Amino acid sequence: MSDYDFDRVNVLLAEDSQFIRSLLVNSLKVLGVGNVFSVEHGGDAIHFLQRVKNEPMKVGVQQIDIVISNWDMHPVDGMMLLRWVRRHKDSPDRFVPFVMITSYTEPERIVQAREMGVTDILAKPFTIKNIGEKLMSIIERPRQFVHTKEFFGPDRRRQKLGAKTERRILTDKSEGVEIIRG
Amino acid sequence: MASKKPVIVRFYRFQNRLKEKTAGLAPGNTSISPEALEKAEQALTKMSEDYPDWVSGLIVKLQEQHGRCVDTPEMRRDCFEEINHMAHDMKGQGGTFGYPLITSFADSLYGFTAKRPSEITDNQIELVKGHLDAMRAVIRGRVSGSGGEIGKKLTEGLNQAISKYEKEEDVK
Repeated sequence: MSDYDFDRVNVLLAEDSQFIRSLLVNSLKVLGVGNVFSVEHGGDAIHFLQRVKNEPMKVGVQQIDIVISNWDMHPVDGMMLLRWVRRHKDSPDRFVPFVMITSYTEPERIVQAREMGVTDILAKPFTIKNIGEKLMSIIERPRQFVHTKEFFGPDRRRQKLGAKTERRILTDKSEGVEIIRG
Repeated sequence: MASKKPVIVRFYRFQNRLKEKTAGLAPGNTSISPEALEKAEQALTKMSEDYPDWVSGLIVKLQEQHGRCVDTPEMRRDCFEEINHMAHDMKGQGGTFGYPLITSFADSLYGFTAKRPSEITDNQIELVKGHLDAMRAVIRGRVSGSGGEIGKKLTEGLNQAISKYEKEEDVK
């Protein structure tokens, strides 16, 4: 068994609390993440991502591999950032893994984030173990992206459903299904 | 070709580039180095110890804003905005470091300074002070968790102050 080498990984972190921000930057660095770019809120994150797209040489990064964002921020919150990342034409990577940090863990809030295309949720208060698990899950278990009229984001069905389920499951051969590989 | 059915769903399946980047192409299981995890855990604990100092620093700043409210009534709206911003910063994390009372008091301060009427009364300024006193008591006494009896007293005291001043405002 070998260890991950996070040295070439670029993380963008949007967190408005200076204390939590430095705590997360520090934790990610100690875990070995090569580059952590931190900003104060969603608006700054959008600005940064636009710069990554338009002038990567100047910013010093070609691609952001993971976005980690707090939900509750002002003036631009995590949901607005997620929406921009997944849907805006200027987004440099609409498929980038997006982890939302939140102390709101009510089921309806989680559903709301999933509908917007979140990859994973990191609940506050968090531990290093939680952060490590999120990283592992993003690397080891990436999900296909689904694009329909109403939804764009990582497949919301994580588990293989049993045979008893009534839900209609499209297969690759179903009518109206298009598979895009890259 | 003309009979091609419209697409109703697209599935995007990509090569796992992040895995290639972090684990290389060699087969076999990869994990996060236990040493790195341990080191990060220690760093987090170390930083958590700084939390009360950090909150104390913020309380001092809040106190300065409170002083400005008292001395320069025409600046009250600006001060309230500043206080509201700091309260938001505090409310999100008390629980993370074992001080949920800070979160609940900061949340109350945040909610109450979010409404900024055209005239901010002396009573409202007093109420800011009530919140600061309660937070200071939590940090000074290192009242972690729900704080047992002390926590209950502090919360009740603050709630009483809130309802008292709210009533006075209603009478006006």
